[in-house]
Amino acid sequence: MTRSALRRWFLVHKWTSLVCTVVLLVLCVTGAPLVFRDELNDLLDDALPYASVPAGTPKLSLDRLVEASRALYPGETIISVFSDPHEPKIIVFMAQSWEQFRANRRAIHSIRFDAHTGQVLKQTKPFNQDGMTFPNLMLQIHRDLFAGLAGELFLAAMALVFVVAIVSGIAVYGPFMRKLDFGTVRADRSRRLKWLDLHNMIGVVTLAWALVVGATGVINELSTPLFALWQQTDVRAMLDTMRRQPTAATSELSSPQAALETVQAKLPDMVATSVVFPGSPFGSPYHYVVWTKGKEPLTSRLFSPVLVDAQSGAFVAVVAMPWYLRALEVSRPLHFGDYGGTPLKVIWLLLDLATILVLGSGLYLWLSRGTSSIVEAADELALSGQAAE
Amino acid sequence: MNALRSNAAIWRWPAVLAAVTVAGLFSALLGQTGAWLVLSWLLLAVPLMVIAWCWLSRLREL
Repeated sequence: MTRSALRRWFLVHKWTSLVCTVVLLVLCVTGAPLVFRDELNDLLDDALPYASVPAGTPKLSLDRLVEASRALYPGETIISVFSDPHEPKIIVFMAQSWEQFRANRRAIHSIRFDAHTGQVLKQTKPFNQDGMTFPNLMLQIHRDLFAGLAGELFLAAMALVFVVAIVSGIAVYGPFMRKLDFGTVRADRSRRLKWLDLHNMIGVVTLAWALVVGATGVINELSTPLFALWQQTDVRAMLDTMRRQPTAATSELSSPQAALETVQAKLPDMVATSVVFPGSPFGSPYHYVVWTKGKEPLTSRLFSPVLVDAQSGAFVAVVAMPWYLRALEVSRPLHFGDYGGTPLKVIWLLLDLATILVLGSGLYLWLSRGTSSIVEAADELALSGQAAE
Repeated sequence: MNALRSNAAIWRWPAVLAAVTVAGLFSALLGQTGAWLVLSWLLLAVPLMVIAWCWLSRLREL
């Protein structure tokens, strides 16, 4: 590498790192508990336990639980129903009205039923009035710094800058190591030299993981605009071809349980997990949207919405998901590390801590740079590098 | 010790570790069961062990 090229890479590494380090430290600190989000939520959950029932007890019909929910909250609107494929629980989401839900997506509350007995296990307040749990607080900081879409886009940009910092770090690593063996930590000279070596060693060892988590972080932060894009293009085009009679009144709706069963029968390789009611801004005015996912390890990450006519109950179509939403779906597990059991989560946490060390040591190296500028250091390295060629 | 290293010498271990990491990430994602999960844990533990070894072996020398 020429002297001026190395100098440029050094400046790129320095400035991209300075721009993103503080934000990245916030993301690493809030990300650590998020790796164990499921465990923390279970721990904090105050729901009643599931009834113990004989093996093979069938789940209740969604229709019955929808009726029970309407009886509990007369006049309210059902938004969607989620049936857990792994646990005997069915959750009904309700809001005052579709108008209110459109105005504030968090103005919904949920009722959790025991899928075998129909007993109410837990009810929440509307999400916008409910106190925030610790995992949700961490998630909100991690996702958007309480700044909504602007925060998501800002963090997407920061994650992208982080990726550039890693790439420029790779470029300057080589010249640094001309005279050193891999993994050398010179702990016997100055503190700064020791932390420089640790920064380089931990940085290069965790390189691939940090790149994957950084790049999938960028994609995750773009989920709001990506979903909006899909709805305004593919979904709208599909619904436009179906524009017709006025929408069905609640009393005219076909059975949601039948909608689920119709989809299940038509798509035996998929698992139907939830039913979104007609009228949702995330659905269709005329259809139930039944969300399905695959049964294989990878396809269980890939969701496909299926339209069922909300009056006749007839199967209508599977809505094709575009490549960018498939990429988003695969990015989620690779970002959160929640796809390989508890040992993988522990590894994720330790790699997160290693990243905190790289960020912190980088900051320390910059703060303790003293009189010798980083450009001079680059020049010195370039000279030793040239001598090697 | 002071001889200048070639690019191949410098990048040998970082490249191996990157390959091990990627293999570990995808073994859990595409496998998701039994042996594939254990393989992913073992592979992804390698970078952590390398960090611990490099760091601790220097401390012991002091």
